[in-house]
Formats: sequence, C-alpha cells, structure tokens
Amino acid sequence: MKKTHIPKLDDFLGGGVPEGSSMLFSAVPGVECEAFGYQILNGFIEDDGKGFIFTNVAEPPNITYEFSRYGWDLETHIEEGKAFFVDGASSFIGMPPEGKYVINNHEDVYEMVKKAINDVKGGVGIINNLSTLIDYTDPTEIIPMIKGWNEEASKTGTVLVYLFTEWDYKPDLVESLKECFNCVVSLNSIEERVIIGQGFMVTSASWTKPLTNMVLFFVMQPGGVKIYIPKILVTGPYNAGKSSFVKSISEKSVSVDRMALEKFPTTIAMDIGHLDHGGFVADIFGTPGQERFDLMLDILAKEAVGAFILIDSSAPQTFARAKEMINKTHSEAIPNIIVANKQDVKGALSPEQIREKMNLNEQIPIVPTVVTDNIGVNQALDTLLKLLYG
Amino acid sequence: MIVCIESGIPGFEEMTHTDSFMGGIPENSTTLVYGPPKTGKSIFSYQFCYNGLINEEPCLYITTNKGLKMFIAETNDYNLSVDEYLMNGSLHIIDTVSDILEKKVEPTETVVNSEINNPTDLMVNIGSKINLVRNQNPRFRSVLNSATTLLAYNESMLIVRVIKAYLMRVKEAGGTPIITYTEDSADKIVETMLKSMVDNIIRMDGNELQIEAMKGFGKSENNYIITENGIKLE
Amino acid sequence: MIKTTESGIPGFDELTSTDEFPGGIPLGRTTLIYGPPKTGKTIFANQFTYNGLENKIPCLYITADQGIKQLTNSMMEFNWFLQSYIDNGNIYIIDGISQLAGVKLEDTNNYKTTTIGNPADMMVKVGIGSRYVYRKCPEFRSVLDSATTLFAFNQEQMVLRVLNAYIRRNNEAGGAGLMTYTEGSTTEKTEQQLLSLFDNLIRMDGETITINSEYNQSENLDGFTSVYNITEKGIVVNH
Repeated sequence: MKKTHIPKLDDFLGGGVPEGSSMLFSAVPGVECEAFGYQILNGFIEDDGKGFIFTNVAEPPNITYEFSRYGWDLETHIEEGKAFFVDGASSFIGMPPEGKYVINNHEDVYEMVKKAINDVKGGVGIINNLSTLIDYTDPTEIIPMIKGWNEEASKTGTVLVYLFTEWDYKPDLVESLKECFNCVVSLNSIEERVIIGQGFMVTSASWTKPLTNMVLFFVMQPGGVKIYIPKILVTGPYNAGKSSFVKSISEKSVSVDRMALEKFPTTIAMDIGHLDHGGFVADIFGTPGQERFDLMLDILAKEAVGAFILIDSSAPQTFARAKEMINKTHSEAIPNIIVANKQDVKGALSPEQIREKMNLNEQIPIVPTVVTDNIGVNQALDTLLKLLYG
Repeated sequence: MIVCIESGIPGFEEMTHTDSFMGGIPENSTTLVYGPPKTGKSIFSYQFCYNGLINEEPCLYITTNKGLKMFIAETNDYNLSVDEYLMNGSLHIIDTVSDILEKKVEPTETVVNSEINNPTDLMVNIGSKINLVRNQNPRFRSVLNSATTLLAYNESMLIVRVIKAYLMRVKEAGGTPIITYTEDSADKIVETMLKSMVDNIIRMDGNELQIEAMKGFGKSENNYIITENGIKLE
Repeated sequence: MIKTTESGIPGFDELTSTDEFPGGIPLGRTTLIYGPPKTGKTIFANQFTYNGLENKIPCLYITADQGIKQLTNSMMEFNWFLQSYIDNGNIYIIDGISQLAGVKLEDTNNYKTTTIGNPADMMVKVGIGSRYVYRKCPEFRSVLDSATTLFAFNQEQMVLRVLNAYIRRNNEAGGAGLMTYTEGSTTEKTEQQLLSLFDNLIRMDGETITINSEYNQSENLDGFTSVYNITEKGIVVNH
C-alpha cells in the first residue's frame, strides 16, 4: 500500500492505494483539483519514491512555481532525479520546453507517458489534465489510451493519478471514463448562489469497500489540502432555545452562561458543540440573540457553511428580529433552515402560519420542534445537511 | 493624453494630428501593418525602425522574409542605412531566413540566427533580445516582418499564440512593436485574431494608407507614394 | 421584472429601456459584446467595470487579453484609475496572460494569476472570486475580456465548455456579467454555438450598436439600434 498523503483519504481507502492502481480525481468546475495531484506526488517523493507530472495545461516552470507556493520543493526533487516532467504544454505556445520528455505532436502523448510510467516504477504519475487530453484526442482513442497506460502502470507498480474537470461532457462518456479506474474520488462543491465549500468523496475503490462520507476540505498555500471542519451556526432571537438546541445536537457542548437576569439564564458569549451525525462532522456555534452581540454573529456568519435559525413559535413579536438574522445569513450566502421551536407551548404557530407571518419563500425549510423533548431535532439536522450536500 | 512616437513616415504625424491627439504612433502600443503583397509594408517597417535608431531608441528587428544581407541592401536602397546602428549595438536582428537558405550569417553581438520552423527557438531569442534592448533604453521599438512567413511555415494557431506572447513581452518591457502581414495569406480566422490582438491597424493597398484603428485617434486615410526615400504620404 | 444595473455608457440605458425593461445591463445574466476587431468592445466592458467601482459595486474581472499592467494603463487613457480599487479590494482580478509575458507577479487577496491554457484553474479562481465579490455586494459585476484569447489558446469545444460553466456560475450568483468576443475569430459553427449561450447580445460594428436581448422581442428592433462614438470619455451612444 502507498499513502496518498491526503488527510482522511488513506483511512477511507483502507490504508492507502495499492501499487499499480489508477485513480481519477473528478472535479466539478470551480473546485480545486490540482492540489490533490501535486500533494500525492510530493508525498510519494518524500517517502523515497519517484514521480512524474504530465502537463498539457501549464508550462513546467509555472507548475514548479505553484509547488513552491504550497511549500514543496519540486525543483530539488527534479535536480536529484526523483521527479520529472512530461511537457505537453510548452511547445504548443512556443515556450522553451522543460522536461525529460517533450511532446511536440499530440500523437506522441501515448508513447511518452508510457515511457514515463516505466521510468518511475513503483512511484507515481500525475496526469494533468485529462479533460484537455480528451479535447485533443480522437474520441474513439481516449479510452484505449487510458486503459493502455493503466495496464502499464499495473505492470510496473506505478500509481497513476488523473486530474479531470467534469465540464458538460456527454454523460455516457463520463460514465465510461470512470469505469477505467481502480478508484474514483469526486470533488464537489457546496453552493448557495456561490461556492461556499468544497468536499471530496470516494465513489469507488476496487480493493476495498470505501467509506463514502463527504469530507470538506480547503487548499492552503503553503500547506496543500487540509480537512475542513465546518462551522454551523445556531442563531435566532432571544429565548428561542438556542442553547438547548446546541446541546441536543452535540455530543458534548460548553455554554458560557451567566445569570443575566435573575430568572432567565442567557448566553453571553456563545455555545460551542461538536456534531457527528452519520459521518458528517461539524463544529456548532450558538450565538447570543441580543442585538448587542450582532458583531459576533457577523464574524461567525462569515465562516459558517450552514445555519439554523431558531424561533419561538409562540412569540410572533420576535419574528421581525428572526427575519433580520435570516437576511444576515443570506447576505453571506449561507444555506439556512428555520427551526420552529416550542411547538408544545400553547398558542404556538404552525410552520405554515410562520411562513405566512414572516413572509418567507418556499425555498426556506421550516422544521417544527420541541427541543427540550428532543422532538424534531434529527429532522432539522437532516434537512440542513440535505440542503448542504444535495 | 496619449504619448506618441514618430512613425518615420513623412506626413504620418500631420495626418494623425488632432486637437486631442499629438500625432504619430502611440508609444507602447502594438500595431499591425497589413495589405496586399508589394504595397510597401516592409518599407514602412524599415522607416519605423530607422526613425527610432536616429532618435537613440534601439530596435529589435525580427526578419522572417529577408535574410540579413537583403535587409541591409533594401534599407540602403531607401537611404535608411543601418550599418552604423548594427555597429554601435542599438539595432538587434533576429534572422530566421538565412538559416533556410543555408547561408547562416556569422552571429555577432547584435545579430542572431533562428529557425523559421522552430517558434520555440525564436521565442527564446526574442526573450533574451528584449532583455538586452530594454536595458539599453526602455523606450525601444520592435518589428516583426513578417507574420506571413511564420504562418506559412508553422501551424497557424501556434503562431497566433507566439505573436501574442511576442507583443505582450515587448509591451511589458516598455517597447512599441509593429508586425506586418500580407492580407489573405492565411485563414480569415487568423487574420481576425491578429487584428484583435493589436491596438492599431494600418492597411496599405498600394495607393492609400488607411488607419483602420488607432487608440486615442480613430480612423483616417491618405494617399501615399513610394519614393527613393521610402513611403511618403501626400 | 428583470433587474438591471446601469451600464455607465451614456445613452445606453435610455436606448435599452422599455415598458417591461428598465434598461441597462441585466443582473443574473451574462451579456456578450461582439463585433469586428477594434470597435470598442473592451472599452465598453471597462467603462461598465469602472462605473460600478465608482458606485461601490465590486467587480470580478478576468483579463485574458492584457496583463494587469496594460489593463490599468489602457484604462488610464480614459481617466479611469483602477489602482485605488485594486488597493481597496473592490475589484477581483484574474490575470490569465501576464505569465505569458514572462512576468511573475505575486498573488494577493484580490489578484490571482492563472495560465490561459489551464481553464480548470481559471474556473477555480472564478469560484473563489465570485464568492469574494458576492459577499461585498450580491449585485456585483463580472467581466471577461476576451473570449477570443481563450480561443487562441485552447480547443474551441473546450472554450465553449468553460464559458458555459462560467456563465452558469455567474448567473447563479446573480451578478451582471459581460463578456467580449471578436467576431470571426472562430469557425462559423463555433461562433453560432457561442452566441447561443447568451440571452443578451450587444453587437458593435464601429458605427452602430445593436442590442439583441430577450427583452426586446416585442419591440421594434430599431429601438435597440443606435450609432455610437468612441470619445475621450469612452463610448457614447446617441439617443
């Protein structure tokens, strides 16, 4: 087994990647993909392996520079003969090629990459980018080409990593492409009008039954691919039951309470919890409801990927305030749902009544709950997660 | 106000002078000179180059359709002798023709050979020459005469990219480049691409010099003749 | 009713306004400006960008044709000073071409370099950039100048795919998108496919400007055609 050096990914794949396997990283346009390939190559070399990068998208000096931004020294690896380029980019824009192999005609790609696979026996090859390759290759030849490389890789024990952007190709092409690889990792986006988060998920692995949780990640320069523990915000007007809600969805929670008024304890700093719901992990932040803490809401909202807006269903006078908070999360492009709490209290409004009263459009889900009795809490969680991950 | 440099063509400055435009060729802009064969595009480029040299603006001249000897002979024909500037190091030439004719010139401080069918080698030479020229004077000129030959010997989109890179590099370094091109010698798409990449477009049809576009100026046309001293606007 | 944002081009908003349509550049859409070379398409796009910046509307600007230095310089010719907006972060620039000029520029929060031949990387930056400007103002502007350069450096089908993804991203975010393209710089078939990606088309031929949008179907076509001039202050549409 070889390590990919992508956090969590090795665990999901049962420890790593067997020698000679092929992997496809398939990204939705806009999701970072190159970093995965580069990180794997860097990891292999640091484990005393060898590797190459085939590029048809950027000239080698640009890639070397990109590596340095991640804090990885590709230049030295190349000098020491541990890494090399198959340069399929430079000569197509008239730049001086740089690499052990240089491609001047698209027809040469197959043989050159095949040689490279042999040169790094037991190491890794990064194919950047498969999408561009498709465009320059006869459609009937692309699959045999990939199969040929994968066969060569399997013979020589080389791991091949393909980077692929899923532009609007015909679905059957994508389908048949994906069947060529031992392992497919899809890189998806979490969107609310704009991309607010990125996640990877193993969709198949021939050697193990992989865990198929979606792991949120971000890419750091320097640093590379890092796992991102998302923050989920719990907000709403004063006395809607936010602290109880944080407690009920968290494994453990801490609340910074103070007896603000003699009778009603209220959160003056925040509630913090940690959620693990069906493999989905997140940090939970509950904010105080009073307006004087709005600055804190602003700060937390900037980092959150989703929000629960809690309201006291029996207190319509607080709805205007709740609406204000919804708008705040909208302006930060955070998916949110309304948790209509205290459904057990006399005079509590139903979700439909609340929707009408607050003039909310149909897109915002409203989930009725009685948090203190743990009624509706799981539904609320599932609703938000569905909104986040589709 | 857009700063202009002299074109070297008698009458051009007057033709392009308006209340809001000083006349000449906008400094640090890119120009395409095109038209049917034998209408004086090369002569235009010699005059442009020569005018810079006599004003102490060095020039990088890339000749892809005439070898060095021919270039020198033709400039002499129009009383635009460049010998002095080749000697004093202010005129730099990349010659991609002599190689094809198997009459490579002896490389000197100012003259290098390159290969017409090797755009990469050409770009490497261009890159190092621009550095040289820029260090002499950031106000410099450059000529690519002509795009037509490059297009004839190579895949045309590759040449479009190379020309884009060439123009970008000269511009980035502060220079003012012109390229020449024979109308209809390549695909229409290529011609449109070339036009879209430059700031100014000048067409010469044998009688008229038409400024089809020039930034800060617009359009204009004027008759011209070719005299023993080169092109002259009437 | 469709929302629009002012174009910043004198005469343009008046020309495009009807009973159902307020005039200007639509939000949540991407508009293509096309026409022969050197007819003022880039000037239009830059004028639109600058008008937004002056009104505190942020802009995501993909420059594929000129490096950042030339972009700033060419805008300065019209007295549009971009630098202060680069400094205050109201413009997010994706520079696809400076690398080709051999310049190595450091990325900042709102300035990113990419390689013109690497559309996947460009889209990653578009993703980050649109979030950046969206958070500043959901009615942001988004400009790509120009698609022509993308066509010079990539396969035509790939460019169409990328532009399609870009348009979708932009429209979903709700910004007002503007893209330039030089007529005749791809094959006829590709050009048709490209034009069909857009609901709104502006054609500039050097003398007249014609707007062909989803909003003037019922209108007399002449109402959306006018002559224009390129002046020291940018494009001016006669109306």
